[in-house]
Formats: sequence, structure tokens, C-alpha cells
Amino acid sequence: MANVKIDNVIKRYGAVQVMHGVNVDIEHGEFVVLVGPSGCGKSTLLRMLAGLEEISDGTISIGDKVVNDVSPKDRDIAMVFQSYALYPHKTVGENMGFPLKMAKRPKAEIDEKVGRAAKILDLAHLLDRFPKQLSGGQRQRVAMGRAIVRDPQVFLFDEPLSNLDAKLRVTMRVEIKELHQRLKTTIVYVTHDQIEAMTMADKIVVMRDGRVEQVGAPLHLYDYPSNVFVAGFIGSPSMNFLRGRIVSEGGAKQFASESGLRLPLPDTPAEVGAEVIYGIRPEHIGVGDAGIPVDVVVVEPTGSETQIFAKAGGDVIDAIVKDRISAAPGSQIHFVIDPANVHLFDAQTEQRI
Amino acid sequence: MHSNRLGWLLLAPTMIILFFFGVVPFFYVIWVSFHQWNPFAANPNMVFNWASNYRQVVFDAQLLASLGVTFAFVFFAVVSELILGYLLAQAFMKDFPGKAFFRTIHTLPLIMAPIIVGSIWKLMTTPSIGIIPSLVQSWFGLDLNIGQSAAAAFITTVVMDVWHWTPLVTLSLIAALVSLPPDPFEQAQIDGANKRQIFWHITLPMIAPAVVATVFIRLMDALRTVDEVLMLTGGGPGSATRYIGVHIFKEVFPRTNYGYGSAISVVVLYMTIVICWLLYVGLIAPRNTRKG
Repeated sequence: MANVKIDNVIKRYGAVQVMHGVNVDIEHGEFVVLVGPSGCGKSTLLRMLAGLEEISDGTISIGDKVVNDVSPKDRDIAMVFQSYALYPHKTVGENMGFPLKMAKRPKAEIDEKVGRAAKILDLAHLLDRFPKQLSGGQRQRVAMGRAIVRDPQVFLFDEPLSNLDAKLRVTMRVEIKELHQRLKTTIVYVTHDQIEAMTMADKIVVMRDGRVEQVGAPLHLYDYPSNVFVAGFIGSPSMNFLRGRIVSEGGAKQFASESGLRLPLPDTPAEVGAEVIYGIRPEHIGVGDAGIPVDVVVVEPTGSETQIFAKAGGDVIDAIVKDRISAAPGSQIHFVIDPANVHLFDAQTEQRI
Repeated sequence: MHSNRLGWLLLAPTMIILFFFGVVPFFYVIWVSFHQWNPFAANPNMVFNWASNYRQVVFDAQLLASLGVTFAFVFFAVVSELILGYLLAQAFMKDFPGKAFFRTIHTLPLIMAPIIVGSIWKLMTTPSIGIIPSLVQSWFGLDLNIGQSAAAAFITTVVMDVWHWTPLVTLSLIAALVSLPPDPFEQAQIDGANKRQIFWHITLPMIAPAVVATVFIRLMDALRTVDEVLMLTGGGPGSATRYIGVHIFKEVFPRTNYGYGSAISVVVLYMTIVICWLLYVGLIAPRNTRKG
């Protein structure tokens, strides 16, 4: 177990710089998720942590030791690849025991540790099988087993659940989280799925285009996104954004969208006349008897909740409510917004105001 | 039904050719091997003589000596080709300037007829005019004379075979290496394996099917080498390079001993099959029948 420090890391491929001074501090035993759209550099960063990619500038330390020039085999890390990267010619048991065999551990110890890991992961009856004889979820567990037998300082996960079907993904998500609670080893986990990030992480690092956009606890990012990108990325379905300006209505500040829609504002330092982006999450919009009149476009009932797409002025607003609403498309209903749930961003810099 | 008939129709030319050039000669050789047949002997006709050709094979000291040098030749040639071929394949996996050019010229020996290869090597190794004895003399101070030294002749035939056939090994190993997924190799690095361990535990097992197939091809080819060696050394000096193919050739053509030559051929074919079967049982079968 160890802390990890990524200090001003830069990555260049020839003349092209793809990572621009990334800083992340990972505490001992923390579960950190690197999240972002594809191409944001999260996998590259993980591979630099593993030692599979060179670091062009800056330093990476594991357990207070700079590892820039340490080869992967000497970093005392374990990694689970998206493809699982199982050795096809080795059985499940041989796959899991491979790191220990390379470390020249005695056979009895290897068997004992593999047996214990297999028991944790419910693989004990599969130890003599070959990877091609396993299902996707079982292969995934073998890859995890190979990682945990080593008892490494840090676990690295590179989109480990992407190749699984939706149901299995939820199960494995729980298993990985449970495993972390049991082993208490530092984990760095890469995903493009913000739900995975929200549900598993102690700390989320949101990345875009080789930069860190925001670092924080899942609910902190949800409640206080520092810019439009993070606000849109975290939360599902995505936050509604309306462009417009702040106007004064009878002494009180109000938001006026470009299409003329008037919406309530929280207490804000933004001045009247300022160009802003108004953000409100679908789940923070209610339906009431009075409020903002909107025209229903589509209603999607899912049983537990109802998603409503409605037009207000020229803007389409997406709302999710717990009640079952049977509004016909084209009919008028009223959206209710609590100003406390509104996020305001500067229209130019897209930063939170 | 219709498509089935069309399939046989399309296959027919190949089957007919295979029948006349493969199946018929095969059984003809077996048939001849049970006869005494030498057109230039007192009785030029084929005389059925039961298995006496095979009895002669067992007591033929020259044949046993031939088999000995053949196995030595095959062993040294195929092992060298495998090692060299693998190293070249690894080199061609990396990027370097002029890679495509080198890869092309390195395969050129493959397209040469063995008889030409034999002629070229004979020219290059003829004492006093060949370049190889001259270089060996100036570099190591040794006299290389493949017409006199049995060891020199043997080594030269091995080197010639390696020169001729390594590109085949290289090409098939490149094909195998290119198709390997990269992830297990990165995983092995993380799992703490060094380069040597990665080779033995990951690379070799993953390319093993290609290696075994290549060994089969090279083994069968090397066991029946005739023309190159016949051209280069004529099987000499003495019988130092009288490999089994050369031995059969010399029995059949200069001595026109067709019956006996056929019998040796059948025995060699049988041995080749047995060797390949042993290799298969030893190398491939255990991988397929492991408990699963």
C-alpha cells in the first residue's frame, strides 16, 4: 500500500503534446477514478503510472519514491487491462500464479495464495480451465485474481468492465468496491463511464484533452462542478444548459435565456447584464401547478421515474420526476425550479461563478 | 445436390492431377520396391523378389552411415535456422530505415532453385578460386577444402541449407509474431517478468503452433535434400555428406538399381512419418489434451 503522486506530468509524442502538466495526489488506500471522454489522456496517464509509457516531463512517485525510470516489473503494481490480457496458453491457476512464479516464490506459497484469491473471487472450481473456456465475467475475475495474489502497492484498472454486459457490469462494480474495502489497497481506476466513477470512487479526477478539469469526491463534483464540462459530464442524464444573461426584474436578479425564457436565480455575485450559462440538473426540476410554462415534446416513463423533454421558448429542457405523469405530447405543464439547485457559469470562460 | 456436384467438378482437375502425380507414383514405388529391377543387369526385367530389397536395407552399412550423417545434418540445419530465423524475425518486427528493402532481399534465397544454390556455393567454396576459402584463410588462417575435409564439407552443407531456408522460418515467425496481441506482453512486464522470462513463458508458447509447423516443413525438406548437396559435394569427400537423399539418388541413377532405391525411399518415407508423429505427440498433442 502506498500513496501516489503525479506531479506536473507532461506527455509528448514527437512534437505533439498530449498531456499538459497533470497533477494528482492519491492518498494511501484511496480509490481514485480517472474519468473523461475517450482521448482525454486517462489511459495514457494510467500507462505512465504502470511504466508502459514514458514520461516526457514531470515526475510520478509511488510510496514517496520517484519511479520515472523504474521499469514496470520493479514498480510493485498490478494492472487489470480492458482485454483482461490473460495468458491464453496458461490455465486459470497458472495465470493467477504467474506474478508469484516470476518472483520465484516457493510452490506451496503460490498454491496457497492462488487458492485464497480463487476463493475470494469464486474461481476455485475453475483453476484448471483455460481462459477460452471461461465467460467474460469469469475472465475478468481471473485478471483481478492475478492482480490480488501479488498484494501490490497499487492496483491499476484500465476500463475493466467495458467488455461486460450491463447486468454483469453492475455486479462486478459492487465486487470491485467490496474488494477494495477488504484489501484497503490504493486503486487507480480508469473509466469513461461516469456512473462507475460516481459509485466506486473516493475521489474522481475528471480529465479532458490531457488536462485535469476537476478533482474531488463524487458528490462534491456533483454539487459543485467547477466548469461546464464537469457539470455536463457528471450526472446522468446530463445537466440542462441555457445560454443567456442576467437581468433585473423589480429589483431582483433573474436569468433571461436567448430565447426569452425567464428563470429564477440563486444568490449570485454575477452582475446584471453579465453573459452566463444557466445549468440545472433534470432531477432538480419538478412539475407543479404554477411555474415555468412548457410544452411537452416527449414523455419517457421508466417505472421508477418519468423523463420529460419539454420546450420552453426555443430551448428544450429535460426533467426527471419521481411521479408518474401522463402528459400528452403538445400539452402544457409547469416546471418548478428551486434556485438553490441552479449552477451558473461564465459564458466566456465556462467557469463556475 | 446441385452445389455439391459443382464442388466436385471444381475439385476434379486438382484431384486428377494429384492422382496421377501423387497417388499413382506412390503405389508404383511400393510395387517396384518388391522387385529386382536393373535395366542394365543380366536380366533387365522386373523380377518379383518378395522383401529381399528390404532385407538388404537392414544390412546396408552404407545406408546406416548415411542415416547418421543425415540426422546430424537435419539437426544442425533446422536448429540453426530456427534460432537465426527467430532473431531475424524479431529484428524485422522493429522499425529501422530500409526495413522493407532488407526484408525483401533477405527472402531472395527462397526463390532460387536448389540446383542453382548448389552451383553458387560450389563456385564460392572451390579452393583457390572461391571467395569463402580465401576469406577463411585471411581471417582465421585455416585451409578450407570441402573436397578433402569431411568436417568442412559437412559444415558447408549445413551453412548452405541455413542460407537457403532461414528466410522461410523468418517469414512464418514474423507472421506469427505480428498476429500476437500486445496486452499479455505488457501484463507480463507488470507481473514482474524480465525479457528472458517473457520469451520462455509468453512469447514461445504463444508462437509454438507456428514454430512446430515450420519445424515440420523444414524437417521434411531437410530429410530429402538431394540436389544442392549433390551439386556442392557429390556426397563426398568419401561419404561425409552422403545424406539419405543423395544415397538414394546414387543407388537409383548411376547404378540403375531401381528396386533397391525404391525400397530405401519407402523406408525413409516411413521414418519421416514416424519422426513427425513423434514430434506431434511430444509437442502439440499435450497442449490439446490437457485437462480442460
